[in-house]
Amino acid sequence: MPKRVMVALGLVVFVILALVPAGDAQAPIKVGVIQPLSGPVAASGNYVRMGAEIARDWINAHGGVGGRKIELVIEDNKSDPKEAASAAEKLIVRDKVPAIMGAWGSSMTLAAMPKLEEYGVPMVVETSSASSITKRGNPWIFRISPPSDMEALGLEQYVDKLGVKKADFLAVNTDWGRGAAQAFGDMLKKKGVQVGAAEFMEQSATDMNAQITKIKATGGDTLFLTTAVEQITLVLRQGQEQRLQRKVITTGGSSSPTQLIKQAGAAAEGSYHIVFFMPWFPEAMPDGKLAKAFVDEWSKRGNPFEGLTEGFRGHDGIATIAEAIKIAGKDDPKAIREALWNVSFTGVNGPIKFDKDGPAGKESGQSKPSIFVVQVRDGKVALPEFMKK
Amino acid sequence: MIARTAFALGGVAALTAPLWIANPYYLHVLIMAGIFTILALSLNLLLGYTGQLSLGHAAFFGIGAYTSALLTLPPVEVSFWIALPAAAATSGLAGWAIGRLALKLRGAYFVLVTISFAGVISLVSINWMPLTNGPLGLPGVPPPTVGPWTLRTKTAYWYVVLVAATLAYVVCHRLVASRIGRALVALRENEALAQSVGIDGTRYLVLAAVVSAAMAGVGGSLYAHYTRFVSPEVFLFSYTVTMVIMVIAGGQGTLAGPVVGALLFTALPEALREAIAWQWQMLAYGVVLILCVFFLPRGIVPTVTGAARSLRTAGGPFKMRRGSDTPE
Amino acid sequence: MEELLQHLVNGLVLGGTYALLGIGLTLIFGLMSVVNFAHGEFYTLGAYAAFASLALTGLPFFVALLVAIAVGGALGALTERALLRPLRGHSIDTVMLVMIGVWIAMQNSELLIWGGVARSIPHPFPTAPLSLGPLNIAPLRLFVVVTAAALIGLAWLVIQKTRLGTAMRATFQDRDTAALMGVPIGRIHTITFAFGSALAAAAGALLGPVFLAYPSMGDLASLKAFSVVILGGLGNLAGATVGGLLLGVAEELGAGYVSSGYRDAVGFVAIILVLLFRPAGLFARAERIG
Repeated sequence: MPKRVMVALGLVVFVILALVPAGDAQAPIKVGVIQPLSGPVAASGNYVRMGAEIARDWINAHGGVGGRKIELVIEDNKSDPKEAASAAEKLIVRDKVPAIMGAWGSSMTLAAMPKLEEYGVPMVVETSSASSITKRGNPWIFRISPPSDMEALGLEQYVDKLGVKKADFLAVNTDWGRGAAQAFGDMLKKKGVQVGAAEFMEQSATDMNAQITKIKATGGDTLFLTTAVEQITLVLRQGQEQRLQRKVITTGGSSSPTQLIKQAGAAAEGSYHIVFFMPWFPEAMPDGKLAKAFVDEWSKRGNPFEGLTEGFRGHDGIATIAEAIKIAGKDDPKAIREALWNVSFTGVNGPIKFDKDGPAGKESGQSKPSIFVVQVRDGKVALPEFMKK
Repeated sequence: MIARTAFALGGVAALTAPLWIANPYYLHVLIMAGIFTILALSLNLLLGYTGQLSLGHAAFFGIGAYTSALLTLPPVEVSFWIALPAAAATSGLAGWAIGRLALKLRGAYFVLVTISFAGVISLVSINWMPLTNGPLGLPGVPPPTVGPWTLRTKTAYWYVVLVAATLAYVVCHRLVASRIGRALVALRENEALAQSVGIDGTRYLVLAAVVSAAMAGVGGSLYAHYTRFVSPEVFLFSYTVTMVIMVIAGGQGTLAGPVVGALLFTALPEALREAIAWQWQMLAYGVVLILCVFFLPRGIVPTVTGAARSLRTAGGPFKMRRGSDTPE
Repeated sequence: MEELLQHLVNGLVLGGTYALLGIGLTLIFGLMSVVNFAHGEFYTLGAYAAFASLALTGLPFFVALLVAIAVGGALGALTERALLRPLRGHSIDTVMLVMIGVWIAMQNSELLIWGGVARSIPHPFPTAPLSLGPLNIAPLRLFVVVTAAALIGLAWLVIQKTRLGTAMRATFQDRDTAALMGVPIGRIHTITFAFGSALAAAAGALLGPVFLAYPSMGDLASLKAFSVVILGGLGNLAGATVGGLLLGVAEELGAGYVSSGYRDAVGFVAIILVLLFRPAGLFARAERIG
């Protein structure tokens, strides 16, 4: 009896296998995504992933790229540079992706960069802010997020209107925080603004009272805050507890003012925030229709509203890669790299076009994203007076 | 006999690995496993043979990595072959400092000192920007060169790591078999008794700490020149935890244990990356760890060799023979 | 001067919760010799339990605290029964490895269930700070300090003055004699671990509203708890209390006057110094417990 069963099973298996088409001429184009999906910054990595998924679904709904669908191969870099390098290796060698988007944190991106050069695969950098990334002479890197000095320049025109006379800095002790404190400090000094204290906090620190007490003593009028939204909440709350009366400006674009209002309440009132996407007034973005559609699709999927200020990066990154594949006409890494130099379209943030950055002959690509400032007024996010046309 | 053949087979496989491993990604995993073998062997010296647990071992790894990176980057720019021993020396020095500092302490207190030491070093690497470049890290660490050739390819680097790992194993083997090794075991089993026959516990503990730290420093240097990027994350507690898992699950106090543990627990996260969606990977890792401890509480190697021995001597796993074990 | 006083106040508030964490761990690590790397995860569990009670089911604040303590104790008991009891008799390293596995499993379960976004835990206290002269303290923090002190006092009462406490102390001083005297050893182990975990969960439920709840919040808490245990001496409740307060104050003063970047280093350096010069802890006494 058992032997017959075996034969029957074998036949069934054979039939099933035979039905599977031999080779799919319309195989999907795989695009690698490396993000911190676990660990301390898991929230941000997941927002970027959600934005990437929206981009993928929209592109596929419109017939894909050259008739082929986009498939995202998502890897977790566990907020660890070593894992980012391993993930890049796996994506390139095992999954044979012709392009990657990643890797969120600057040290994770830097760790993955040697792999890109080793195998010749381009990567679109969607969040990292360290200026060294595009200055290291790696021609496979194309960044759509602004480095800290570009961000500081974006604020320069508003410094007088904001009335900043003496500024202090409180930043997270990472490449991002230190880079921002440096870049904004230099920009302010050039404008003749006094710079008071520059304090730092560990990424996992929850008690910033010591730093706040020190900042209180400097007599400044503005506090530049660079860190993730959770720590900003804590700083605002603890600042309120210590009666810190300052104008607060947060940088980096990732911290959602919506989440701050929810969690810090009255302590967030009056604060300014540098963002690269304004989901509260999408019509004010360079491509208002696209921005509005993105916000609508995001909430339709039940994704948290606070994630929009980071999620758009995932969308723009994938859209950039898809555009490059379209221009190249094939999913070959070298062709995609050439094509990236010719990319010119408008994403959710605004126009995306790469300029040369870094040592001659080995330039990386750097786009000039749009930078906005919003304010928390009466418990809601609003455009500051000086931003209104 | 079985052990010898296993050893020989493993050796041949390792030597010819680049030939039959088609996928460079697997070679990458193997190289990382090799580096972690060195780290696990070094931790085993302290943990397995002296019984003292160092939970700051990542500090020695990181010190080695930073030393090697800083020496081979501008403005110093010496050769890798000088940087490697320098890394071993610097880490060894740190090991000596820990050994001397903790000379009166045992057990839980020693553990705490090692954790605190690692914590301080970690914070120094983040904050002392002029030296370490802080959180921005040190990118562009050059690969080793031999004469006109640059050992940039994985195949070349694999052989460097293989030689280093073999040397580490030999050093451990020699140490353990020597008088020093026997003294260490005596100290681990019963320190009071050992001291009563004149074995100076502190001196041997310090020696073990120095060798252990120097070896971890070598691992750090190899890591730095392979990944070509060093940042304060090398001091993450998770690296120490990984090493501890490898040693204890592999079988502490044996020489093959750390090797098996390193191979298994380097391959495991990568295998999980293949097999399981990213949301469940780390959870699965934790569960596997718990199961491993439950079913193999003494570690993999001691359980396997114990089973093999009982199979040989009792004529079957379920029959018990009264009397002494069959001599070899 | 006011800066100094403010730093001291901040330090004492923080230290109160360190003390709570430390007492739980000194029972588990000091008495049971379990290197409990998952201690911080029970802290996290308490915070999320409070969040679930408050934000999702809208229970009153104090009930939510009790729920958190109950959940922590229950899961602690379960962990002891299922994982630690079968391993009793195995080396301390094996047990440590299991607790590492529990740590990884718990943290990633929380990540799966709640997601990586930090949660704000609502509380009924006004946000405007109370002012005592130049010093400011938020009503919530005052509540935390007072509650922590009450819980510490309660723990001390249980250990010193009840029969259960006597049974616990007997078990860990001399197990065989205690067994001969009819003390149910197995149950005492379970109760001790549950007790320690419940205290950690209480600390999490108290600090959750002050800070935020997120899956990796327990990592640093574990390490700081170990520091407090060493400072106070293994198994020494009063020592852990004072040790916790000292650590909190030392950290605040270090961050305020030396460098905020090296804040956590203060705790580490303190441990190294204490262990060099007074290895049995700052408050070494003849008996281990009390």
